[in-house]
Amino acid sequence: MPGKSFLHKLNPLTKVVWSLAVITLAFVYQEPLPILSLWASVLAVALIGKVLREILPAIRGLIIFAAIFFLFQVFLIDEGQVVFTLVPGTGIGRITDVGLKACTMLALRMLAMTSTIPVLLATTPPKDMIVAFVEKLKVPYVYALMLVTSLRFIPTLQEELSLVIQAQRAWAYDLEGRNIIKRFLALIPLALPLLLMSVQRARTMAISMETRAFGAGPRTSLHTSTFQLLDIGVISSCLLLTAVLAVVSLR
Amino acid sequence: MEPIIKVENFTFYYPDSQVPALAGINLTVQAGEFLGLTGPTGAGKTTLALALNGIIPNFQGGRMGGRVMVAGLDTAKTPCARLAGVIGSVFQDPEAQLVAEVVEDELAFGLENLAVPREEMRQRIGAALEMVGIASLRHRSLRELSGGQKQKVAIAAAVALRPRVLVLDEPTSELDPRGTLEIVALLQRLNRDYGITILLIEQKISVLAPRVPRLVCLNKGRIVADASPRQILAQEKLTTELGLEVPPVTALFRMLRRAGVYHGDLPLEVDEGQRELGRLLGSRASRA
Ligand SMILES: Nc1ncnc2c1ncn2[C@@H]1O[C@H](COP(=O)(O)OP(=O)(O)O)[C@@H](O)[C@H]1O
Ligand SMILES: [Mg+2]
Repeated sequence: MPGKSFLHKLNPLTKVVWSLAVITLAFVYQEPLPILSLWASVLAVALIGKVLREILPAIRGLIIFAAIFFLFQVFLIDEGQVVFTLVPGTGIGRITDVGLKACTMLALRMLAMTSTIPVLLATTPPKDMIVAFVEKLKVPYVYALMLVTSLRFIPTLQEELSLVIQAQRAWAYDLEGRNIIKRFLALIPLALPLLLMSVQRARTMAISMETRAFGAGPRTSLHTSTFQLLDIGVISSCLLLTAVLAVVSLR
Repeated sequence: MEPIIKVENFTFYYPDSQVPALAGINLTVQAGEFLGLTGPTGAGKTTLALALNGIIPNFQGGRMGGRVMVAGLDTAKTPCARLAGVIGSVFQDPEAQLVAEVVEDELAFGLENLAVPREEMRQRIGAALEMVGIASLRHRSLRELSGGQKQKVAIAAAVALRPRVLVLDEPTSELDPRGTLEIVALLQRLNRDYGITILLIEQKISVLAPRVPRLVCLNKGRIVADASPRQILAQEKLTTELGLEVPPVTALFRMLRRAGVYHGDLPLEVDEGQRELGRLLGSRASRA
């Protein structure tokens, strides 16, 4: 591929192995700091792969998603010492130290795990990704396709969303002036058509692939299969590093 | 000769739908025809395209009746992959239908799926790019291309599989007028020079009418007209019912006809209209 980083040259399966290594470590680590560094390492890989800027919108989306997840969970845990109460003196909106830590861990873990996906997708053409998932990893076609297309169109979706918000603002439909929950709720009717649009796009891609004989049987490839020394090197270092880090942290 | 497309009494309901998306469709297309298909949004145009390339019923579920034959193959009994070598499809959204990063790889996708050997693949990619007139884009990144160029890549990717029919579902709806005319001219060339049967779905009737010999109109899942564009545009009730954007020059001559001033063929384009107008005024002047 023209003018691309080493990440682009790797076989898609190699990148999937890297992704699985990150997921494994995210489950092994039980403290916020190691998970935070794990996440930083994912971003560092994106930086070296020259796609950090490109995936930033997706990462921002994942952070918002993790934050919402955190907010939904953190009030539900009663165990431990109360460190904060939303409405003082009533016990409404209590946050405990145990809850705070558990939910922080959960959110960070989710963030570290999911952040590899945009890196994967930004450095692999959709068809290579889908072929790797469906033919090599036997992931059901529909899931592979939904994953690939939905994330591929995140930047487009965000552009469209901001256009819609601008249009709404022009109609004096004010989103800024309200509190965060109202703002979020106000976005739902706006986000819905965009979600439908992304489903529609996944469908179009599936149909476009079907009409070009995808899944007909054994395939050939225009380029020589790229399981090279680099891939073997990266896979072995991923496995080794994961094993070492897991053993160290579990001891 | 056996027609290349034969749709017989075809009816289709999407899952959980009580209203048929297509009802009692009968359509025969001879090899080498260039057919326009139009009708309002929701008329069933896309559904018909999907029935022709076998997505319905092989990929999209639902209830169907009747039969669709393409190049002698019953689409309901033929896997999509087999149909891929017979009928090529191009869709509305230039982004969502492309799966590669580089033009050449996009064309390779279908050939790879059909397990074409690498050497032959290279040669067929080259030939398809030539046919579509985008040989210079071969190694370009798809992201850098304009919407019109992307649609040409999609057409080339279909052509690389050497189909006998091309179905294009509103391929120009996201293009500007110039890009639109380029795509239509390209399709005319593929039809004339290579004998590929073309079925072009298009809402912009002013683009379609002067360029296709036969126009099929769908409304509410039924074929309501199948004739030459001139004959169809002459019917005021029909064009109003379908909400067709009749070209202004055609509308003008329709009025002249109604007023009993004009008796010739309806012009579909401005220069044709100018000529007719000149003749009309000339004959009046000489009579006076
Ligand atoms: N995937 C689908 N599921 C259910 N109904 C559909 C689907 N696609 C289209 N329809 C319905 O079928 C009818 C015909 O749609 P379509 O073929 O897309 O029309 P057109 O392409 O002419 O705009 C419409 O009423 C539409 O709502
Ligand atoms: Mg349509």
